[in-house]
Amino acid sequence: MSQVSVSRRQATRTAPDESREARRRRRMSPSVFLVHGVLIFFVVMALGPILMTIMNSLKTQQGIFSGPFQLPTATTFSIDGYLRVTQLGDFGTLYFNSATVTIVTTGLTVGLATIAAFAIVEYKIKLAPVLSGFFIIGIMLPVRLGTVSLLQMMSSWNLVNTTLALILVYTGMSLPLGVALMVTYFRSVPQELKDAARIDGAGEVQTLSIVTPMVRPGLGAVAALTMLPIWNDLWFPLILAPGRSTQTVTLGVQQFMGQYDSDWPALLAALTLGTIPLILLFLIFSKQFIKGLSEGYGK
Amino acid sequence: MKSRIAPVAITVAAVMMALAGCSGGSGDSGGGSDQVTLQFESWRPEDAAIWNSKIIPVFEKDNPGIKVQFAPTKATEYDAALKTRLQGGTAGDLITCRSGALNRENIEAGFIEPLKGFTGLSNFDDLSLSYWASTNGDPYCVPVASVMAAFFYNKDIFTELNLSVPKTNAEYMSVLQAIKSNGKYVPLAFGATPGDAWVLAYMGLYSEGPNYWHGEEGRQGLIDGSKKFTDPEFVQALAALKSWTPFMPDGRASVTYSDATQLFALGKAAIFPSGSWDISAVTGSTGLDVGVFAPPLPKAGDQLYVQSHPDMGIGINAASQHKKEAQVFLNWVASPAFQTIYANALPGFFGMGKEPAKLDNPLAQAWADLKVGAELTPRVEDILSGGNPDFETTIENSLQLMMTTDKSPEAVADETQKGLENWYKPQMK
Amino acid sequence: MRVRTSNSIHNAATKYRYLMLFTLPALIFYVVFAVYPLFATFVISLFQTTNGDGSFIGLDNYVYLFTDPTQSGHFWHALLNNLEFFAIHLIVQLPIGLLLAALITSDAVRRLTGFYRTILFIPATLSVVIVGFIWRMIISPLWGIIGFPLLGTEATALPTLSLMSIWQWIGIPMIFLYTALIAIPKDILEAARVDGASGMRTFWAIKFPLITPQFGLITILTFIWTMNGFDLIYSLMGGAPGPNYSTDILGTFFFRTFFGFNNVVGDTDYGAAVATVIFLFILISTAGYFFVLQRRLKPHEL
Repeated sequence: MSQVSVSRRQATRTAPDESREARRRRRMSPSVFLVHGVLIFFVVMALGPILMTIMNSLKTQQGIFSGPFQLPTATTFSIDGYLRVTQLGDFGTLYFNSATVTIVTTGLTVGLATIAAFAIVEYKIKLAPVLSGFFIIGIMLPVRLGTVSLLQMMSSWNLVNTTLALILVYTGMSLPLGVALMVTYFRSVPQELKDAARIDGAGEVQTLSIVTPMVRPGLGAVAALTMLPIWNDLWFPLILAPGRSTQTVTLGVQQFMGQYDSDWPALLAALTLGTIPLILLFLIFSKQFIKGLSEGYGK
Repeated sequence: MKSRIAPVAITVAAVMMALAGCSGGSGDSGGGSDQVTLQFESWRPEDAAIWNSKIIPVFEKDNPGIKVQFAPTKATEYDAALKTRLQGGTAGDLITCRSGALNRENIEAGFIEPLKGFTGLSNFDDLSLSYWASTNGDPYCVPVASVMAAFFYNKDIFTELNLSVPKTNAEYMSVLQAIKSNGKYVPLAFGATPGDAWVLAYMGLYSEGPNYWHGEEGRQGLIDGSKKFTDPEFVQALAALKSWTPFMPDGRASVTYSDATQLFALGKAAIFPSGSWDISAVTGSTGLDVGVFAPPLPKAGDQLYVQSHPDMGIGINAASQHKKEAQVFLNWVASPAFQTIYANALPGFFGMGKEPAKLDNPLAQAWADLKVGAELTPRVEDILSGGNPDFETTIENSLQLMMTTDKSPEAVADETQKGLENWYKPQMK
Repeated sequence: MRVRTSNSIHNAATKYRYLMLFTLPALIFYVVFAVYPLFATFVISLFQTTNGDGSFIGLDNYVYLFTDPTQSGHFWHALLNNLEFFAIHLIVQLPIGLLLAALITSDAVRRLTGFYRTILFIPATLSVVIVGFIWRMIISPLWGIIGFPLLGTEATALPTLSLMSIWQWIGIPMIFLYTALIAIPKDILEAARVDGASGMRTFWAIKFPLITPQFGLITILTFIWTMNGFDLIYSLMGGAPGPNYSTDILGTFFFRTFFGFNNVVGDTDYGAAVATVIFLFILISTAGYFFVLQRRLKPHEL
């Protein structure tokens, strides 16, 4: 087998020049245009609606409905929506609350899931798969069903209307998927590495910290998947922390949604403002995710 | 450095958690030793600006030491969220009460403070108070607003097309036909999308229907079982509603209530069957000249019936820490002074006190004038709603199908009646 | 200092201690804030509350759910709708996710991979309010580009909602398949190129078989997420989603029974029973899936 491949490699020793040619040809070829064309189509489909939201947030209510797909004109342009949003006065607080809850929960989830997953993979005793399965069941748990019990719990601990209550609930909710994911990433860490570390005298915690960089794509994945549903969640902030000082962006935006009709310009403005930080947060973590991937798999 | 992610993450998390635990918490009610802040639950976020700028300041000026914080929740979440907060002990001091079964459940569970002996109640008649009373008839919430259902119309379009305000159903149909033939405007700003099927009931059937089933005569008949939904007068009401379909916008199955409102507000539709609460939505910045007419009569000379539905009351949370201050506020709410401010700040929401408030808004006055010579009736629900299958959901579902498919009025009447007979004792004979 | 040769130097007791120590923090959060409240809910389902007094009624709520014609009708209808929602979601998102992952890893896209990957994922960061508003506007017969009422017609409502949901979440299967694709060792691909295989050939003969394990993961996650789905449908269609309950899924059915709808008072105890049944359904389906999968994989594991 190897002899054949060696001879093949010899046979194609002139290949490098050819392949450069071939590469150039490939770059110009119709298939490249096709690939990019298809991708651009999907990009338009993905971004179009978002741009529409931003565009319509800069119009008057009549402007939105008389021409939802048109750019704001002289008559329909208006930043009243944004003004009304900022007039709320506490939009900064909304941001801070959403950010606090999301970042702390994500940090906790990533940290605790990593530690737990490391142990589940490393210590091969009967209890490990039991724990693993226990966490996996959690992925299916519809946490909303426990709302009344959670509210009573928080209220007896005097934690209602605190962002801490949200953090605790969201962490509990996100850990199952976090642990399950990290377990799969830890499984791909070679045993020899851990043993080598131990031979060099590392304790358990040190072994963990040596191994962690290898699962960095996992950390990024867990972070990204954790923060998304939390930032956009309405239910728990509504029930556990509806007070003015603890409202999140998603909850705060609701004040523009009336019983019968909504203040569309303000609503869209608030939604636009509310989405940008999440996209930014997500971009940061997705970079980590990919960086880790290319480092991890480059070996 | 790279390997320190987990420990760093946890440290950052711990620090922020400490910060988080310190924020919020007890800062919301109370404060200074003399200052009391009442949290006021409501389902109308759109009224926040008005409460905060026109209504609450008046109260706070006369009552230094009591502050009121208007804390609304989106209407569709209000009932669920309020119930959860009441059960968890975190609901506000002042509660906006729905009329009917939902509120009664909160009353029976002991969440609302009884108002027996409350002096302000003398400003209201017994019927008004009964909508927010327990099954024993004891009052729990102060009546604040009732709303009506009728037909907005664009005066300029009517002038342009030489139309006069219809009084009978025949006139109504010919007006609609004239607008449709002209082709420039949509005759009826009225949608039939499933998410807003309640519009078909509240501003459709329960608006034009009472003229057919004679208001309270029909409604009470259903309640005590002497009338069935399959009786001819109800089927006629359904058929009348179905006859609106050719005049609704194209693709009506996907037209929402918001779409319909915008269609009318942009001047593209001539008639908008809706409720008095939409006065602000169709006037003001729209620049339209809008009038209102009552539901069309089946025949000339018939008695007119108009829907007037008790919508909003305000009560006190039984678990409130500031009941005395809350009662001061409620006292003010029960006064004619408040009624006048409220009815003028929020046109279309009519006070329910014995003394009718003077209305500045001409359109609101036009709505109030509809009541002259008419017999009033609330929406056909309250005692009838709930149950298994739920009356309201069943009829709304059927109405949506009737207006968008070839489902017949008789079929709708049948389904609704069968649904009632499944659980509602007076109808089960 | 003891010479450590392998993991086996730790005795069972030490392993046990470390395992517990490391998993305890996560376990505490998970159990206290996710498991216990749900268990409490199950307990609630065994009661019936009238006027604030609860009385133990055993499994009566469950009997009611399955024997009452209206309730069981709604339940099974919601279940079937949910399965349809899941099926459409899976059938449409897998090929598209695969296509996107393949395209962004192809040779034609070198430096722009990151750009495409990020942009295509952005819809997943949006709140359902935006997704609902924009798509409803686009397909509105009044303001948008489609004259036929998609959301208001029984036959098309659920598929339309499924497509909206897919639009939002397509980034996730794309990312899963993408990570699997870039995990393929470069030397296998190099060997294929040297052997003269074209891009398409390489993809179908080599890459595709290596990423098929991801399909299983995506399927099960999609199943769980669609069975727990609620937000988009609730925000667009309300609590009794129509037309004619055609978009009613398990999540909205539960919401309606637990929290009430319109003027219907919610029944906490009965709602808790509904919640338990839904959870058990998901659990059994997923367990069954894993069981079948394990049996299939066992002989192949080396």
